[in-house]
Amino acid sequence: METPELEKTKKELYSETSLCYQCGKCSAGCPVVEEMDVYPHIVIHLTSLGMEEKVFKTETPWICASCYACAVKCPNDIEIPNIMTRLKQMALERGLKPKRNDIYKFHKTFTDDILRRGKVHEFRIMIEYNLRLGKPFKNAMLGPKMLMKNKLHFTPPKAVKGFRNWIKQISPKD
Amino acid sequence: MNKDEIAIYPGCSLETSSSHYLQSIKTVFGVLQIPFREIADWNCCGATSVKSVDQHLNLMLSHKNLALAEKQGIRELVVPCASCYFRLVGAEYELNNDEKLLEKLNNESDLPYKGQVKVRNILDFFVNVVGLDHISKYVKNPLNGLKVACYYGCLNTRVPIEKAFDTREYPMSMDEIVKALGGEVVDWSYKTDCCGASLFVTVNTIAEKLVGKVLKDAGLRGVDCVAVSCPMCQTNLDTKQDSIRKKYPVEYPLPVAFITQLMGVAFGCSPADLGFKKNFVPLGSIYKTRSLKNS
Ligand code: SF4
Ligand code: SF4
Repeated sequence: METPELEKTKKELYSETSLCYQCGKCSAGCPVVEEMDVYPHIVIHLTSLGMEEKVFKTETPWICASCYACAVKCPNDIEIPNIMTRLKQMALERGLKPKRNDIYKFHKTFTDDILRRGKVHEFRIMIEYNLRLGKPFKNAMLGPKMLMKNKLHFTPPKAVKGFRNWIKQISPKD
Repeated sequence: MNKDEIAIYPGCSLETSSSHYLQSIKTVFGVLQIPFREIADWNCCGATSVKSVDQHLNLMLSHKNLALAEKQGIRELVVPCASCYFRLVGAEYELNNDEKLLEKLNNESDLPYKGQVKVRNILDFFVNVVGLDHISKYVKNPLNGLKVACYYGCLNTRVPIEKAFDTREYPMSMDEIVKALGGEVVDWSYKTDCCGASLFVTVNTIAEKLVGKVLKDAGLRGVDCVAVSCPMCQTNLDTKQDSIRKKYPVEYPLPVAFITQLMGVAFGCSPADLGFKKNFVPLGSIYKTRSLKNS
């Protein structure tokens, strides 16, 4: 079932992406294009054709570093990374498993951590992310160096005053 | 400028991994006689993560920060981190241009926002509020031709066009500051290229490749250091240089200084007050280069 919210998102997506005339400038200027399985301009094209289902099967929206290099270059002012973001959200809302679950898990770990105190605890995120990923030693070489330079802190930051109450106030997601 | 209405939004990384940035900002503000004040009870901006998982929460986090600032009488919210700045200025823009959205968000929380806060990038603040003349007045030890590549990274300038404080593809504000300090700036190709910080943890190899390109170009120009104003850029360019230099042709180790650290050097502040200890590639070489050029 499509919620009215989702339908609105879809309409907006179609109307924004339909401005694209496939010049390819976005892909040409994308710093991580080599790592993507589908070029950004193709993602925009597929979306404009209402074929977002196809996009959900690609890694591109997850690889996108959200650097806006493409958006700055686009002659039609299409905010490509915002579209990538909405596509990710749509896929999640439909309950699809993210094509790059490792990257999704990081964002989720980060978000969950913010919800705890209103600020992130970088050290905890690193550990928790590795655990959720099942790779406890990912980036392990960097950890000790960062700790030594006092760049990572063992102890979490103080919770933001009133944050937990505020979270309860704002409309819950589901 | 009404000094009582200015406050800094430090963001999470300035409290931990990039506390040397915060420290150098405090030191430099002291020299420039700008009262240092932080917005109270701020929360994380959400970075690139929250928006990938929950767009509503993403906007609400910024709404709350802006509403808090407003309630605390802050009208100029100065943001050092490019990622926080991008989030906050984007929210400022969105909320000021969409009454319905603002009303909707205001109804959800007991902290309503009226739209009175101006979000300022720290570079914008130094150049257009504090002023280059004011900055040059305090220069005691000019950088004497220290050769600097100013690196803005991606998000500092890629804000909604109406909010831009500098050109999006070839900005100059940081260069102007370095020049006011007596440094020499170079023209180079990677000023606004992304360093891949958002993939620093997840897809390390991509981040390393992007950093490799940035550092290689800077090295080829023979600079003494790279200047940055974003904690993400600093961490990404600085902490993994050892391993990056093994894979990519970066000529020599490049110190990566916060613009406020360079300001502090020119103002005659001590390395301890500028947090030099936290930089991976030692910043001390800046002094050496300068004395060499002095003689
Ligand atoms: S730059 Fe803009 S118009 Fe050109 S292909 Fe990309 S999205 Fe389409
Ligand atoms: S925002 Fe994403 S798609 Fe656009 S240039 Fe950057 S990484 Fe590529």
